[in-house]
Amino acid sequence: MSILGKAVDWLDLRIGIRELVKTSVTDYLLPRNINAWYSLGSILMVGFALQVVTGILLLIHYVPDSEKAYASVNAIMNVVPYGWFIRMCHAVGSNLMMAAALLHMFSVLFMGSYKRPRELNWLSGFILLNLIMGLCLTGYLLPWSQLSFWATTVATNAAGAIPVAGPYLVEFLRGGKLVGAPTLGRFFALHVAVLPAAMVGLVGMHLFLLERIGISTPPFGQADSRSNRKGDAFRHDAHPGGLPFFPNYLLQDLTSISVYLAIFLAVVFFDPYLFFPKEAFLPANPYLTPAHIKPEWYFLPNYQTLKLFPSELLGLAAQGVAMTLLALLPFFDRGEERHPMKRPVFLACTVGGILLWFGLMIWGHYS
Amino acid sequence: MKTGRDTMRPALPGMMPGLLLMAGVLLATPPLARVGCAAAGPVEIVCITCHGGQAGHLGAPVALWRQSVHAGNGVACNDCHGGDPNGKNAEEAMDPARGFRGVPKEIEIPAVCGNCHVGVMNDYLASEHGKALGSGGPTCVTCHGNHKVVRASLDLINEKDCSRCHSYDRAKLIRDAMVRTEGLIVSAGEAVTAFKDEGADVERLEKGLFSLRNRFHTLFHDQDVEKVRRESARIDAELAKIDSVLKGISETRRHRKVVGGVAVAGALLAALLFHLLKKTYD
Amino acid sequence: MENAGRRRFLTLCLGGVAAAGAAAGAWPVFRYLAPRAAGDSGAKVKIPEKDVPEGGAKFFEFAGASAVLIRKRGGELAALSAVCTHLGCIVQWQREKQEFLCPCHAGRFTAEGAVISGPPPKALEKLPFTVADGTVTIG
Repeated sequence: MSILGKAVDWLDLRIGIRELVKTSVTDYLLPRNINAWYSLGSILMVGFALQVVTGILLLIHYVPDSEKAYASVNAIMNVVPYGWFIRMCHAVGSNLMMAAALLHMFSVLFMGSYKRPRELNWLSGFILLNLIMGLCLTGYLLPWSQLSFWATTVATNAAGAIPVAGPYLVEFLRGGKLVGAPTLGRFFALHVAVLPAAMVGLVGMHLFLLERIGISTPPFGQADSRSNRKGDAFRHDAHPGGLPFFPNYLLQDLTSISVYLAIFLAVVFFDPYLFFPKEAFLPANPYLTPAHIKPEWYFLPNYQTLKLFPSELLGLAAQGVAMTLLALLPFFDRGEERHPMKRPVFLACTVGGILLWFGLMIWGHYS
Repeated sequence: MKTGRDTMRPALPGMMPGLLLMAGVLLATPPLARVGCAAAGPVEIVCITCHGGQAGHLGAPVALWRQSVHAGNGVACNDCHGGDPNGKNAEEAMDPARGFRGVPKEIEIPAVCGNCHVGVMNDYLASEHGKALGSGGPTCVTCHGNHKVVRASLDLINEKDCSRCHSYDRAKLIRDAMVRTEGLIVSAGEAVTAFKDEGADVERLEKGLFSLRNRFHTLFHDQDVEKVRRESARIDAELAKIDSVLKGISETRRHRKVVGGVAVAGALLAALLFHLLKKTYD
Repeated sequence: MENAGRRRFLTLCLGGVAAAGAAAGAWPVFRYLAPRAAGDSGAKVKIPEKDVPEGGAKFFEFAGASAVLIRKRGGELAALSAVCTHLGCIVQWQREKQEFLCPCHAGRFTAEGAVISGPPPKALEKLPFTVADGTVTIG
């Protein structure tokens, strides 16, 4: 018997690995009409793993000190062998992960997968999206460039519009009246410890829920696209006669991941400056505001919303309302129908919302 | 006693109250609306506050100065005209006791500019232009202008300006001897800036080029055609070194793209193979 | 079975691609982590001590940039980078004042390289040197 076989036997005796693999991998069944959109979750897991690995590598040469941070990142980019590659992977990876997370969310929206009994999947996913945004925001400050400094100044300033507590909240976020060394300290801790740990925990929960409840059936190509959930008892969606996760869907996951990696590598090697205006390569100067500083593309709609409303508080409140509605969507959208074409009001709202989001982004970019 | 050179330092402390004010404004105003239009550059000083609103020759210099290389680098009114940019009123701001010198007399002009541009002043004073100072010869501002001073370039030597005083013949010879080098300096400068905007560490190149450019521009004040030719050739040789470093960076970038092409092709190949393998299970 | 053969072939190809990908990913990481040889070693410059009179200066090229060796009044030697920290012009030694002056924007430095006045943001970089048998070795 081979060594591998012996090792499996050894593990099987102790943790019943064969049964575990059977129930959650080889005999774990998925709906027969599953599509490629379902692989976005796997793409995000790979994206997150890449962020963790490149992030740890960056930590080796990065110095979280406002006096030295810029020089250390500059050294990573120019002196350390392949440092530019690791750093670009981390920066490009964050942008692409954000894009993948949004696509994941849109696909779940269109296929009605968020509906009862998957409210918790949706909610944990929504919180994960916010954690990604938090990681992007905190990571942005770390290189201590002009872009970092002023983008953080602007972003933290927005909290000042909250009545009463606003000004103190801004100071609390920054660790001082202005963005400075204390801000770098807390953002660094959030970026490398708190948020990634929260992320890992929530990804675990997201996966647990997915596995426990079972994969949702896409509403397309079915005579009856209504939710088949009846009654109040818990039931695992087993999809009898469905496709096994291994090897069938795993190969779809791997195909999608390879395509994602191709896009990722193309950006890293051919135009990483897509995400780097020239202010990203100037050291932070608290006494000189750059003329045209804009947030990253995924924050542009928020930026433009704040500018559109007559008062900042209103702008902030509008965003808060929109985000809350999105977070609680499965709790008030309780209809059984899941096919988007059979839900005209929902479809109109969603398409309108996405168009509005893109419109605000483009407007923010050119304003 | 206040010497000419001492007046240079107060520029920074002079900016401090303005900076603090800016810091205060940062917290008090709607931030997102501010960001798009915030002007880069020095903070407003009392000179600008008063003169900026005035009509005619008292206000005109402000608009001209704003377009100058001085404004871009934080060199303000008081750095040339003296006085106190933080004075509470006109009397204080333009108090001769606080170093105010107003409009320099023609003969004083080189000394005012030379306060900072020491090397250039010496080159000028040694030149035929400088020797004719006070007896009809040109001062710094005759060619460079005063308030809207821009980065010196070869364009300053042109028929229109030179023939205000003498024939353009010799000036043209000098200009022709310098055109090639100037072109090299300008294109190297553009390449350095482009790499800088992409995060390449070009500080040393940038400084080397600035130094070379200054060395070259000292020739602008020389009227010895042979010397200009000799020095230009030497500077060309130095520029060739900078150019080879720039070529090295370009080569590295090109190499990365080739590697990137292979990596992307590899990922696409993997996607195709995974897809084909998946199809065998359908 | 045709499918089995095709699967074996595709799996083999994928194994190859995966191995190549893993190696291509591991190499940058290894190079990123590998200890680096200390740079700038070996580039030493030797100058005879008598070349620098008291109060005088000798300019030379060191590690690809301009440098200067001065002998202060009293005989003490100092080796400094001659590149102004403001915009990179080469500083001049002013013997009578015993200080450096940058001709571009009037930055002034002491004989030790510290900024006296003008726009330079930091002091001139000090270079290490040793003196033996009438020869100054910089680097």
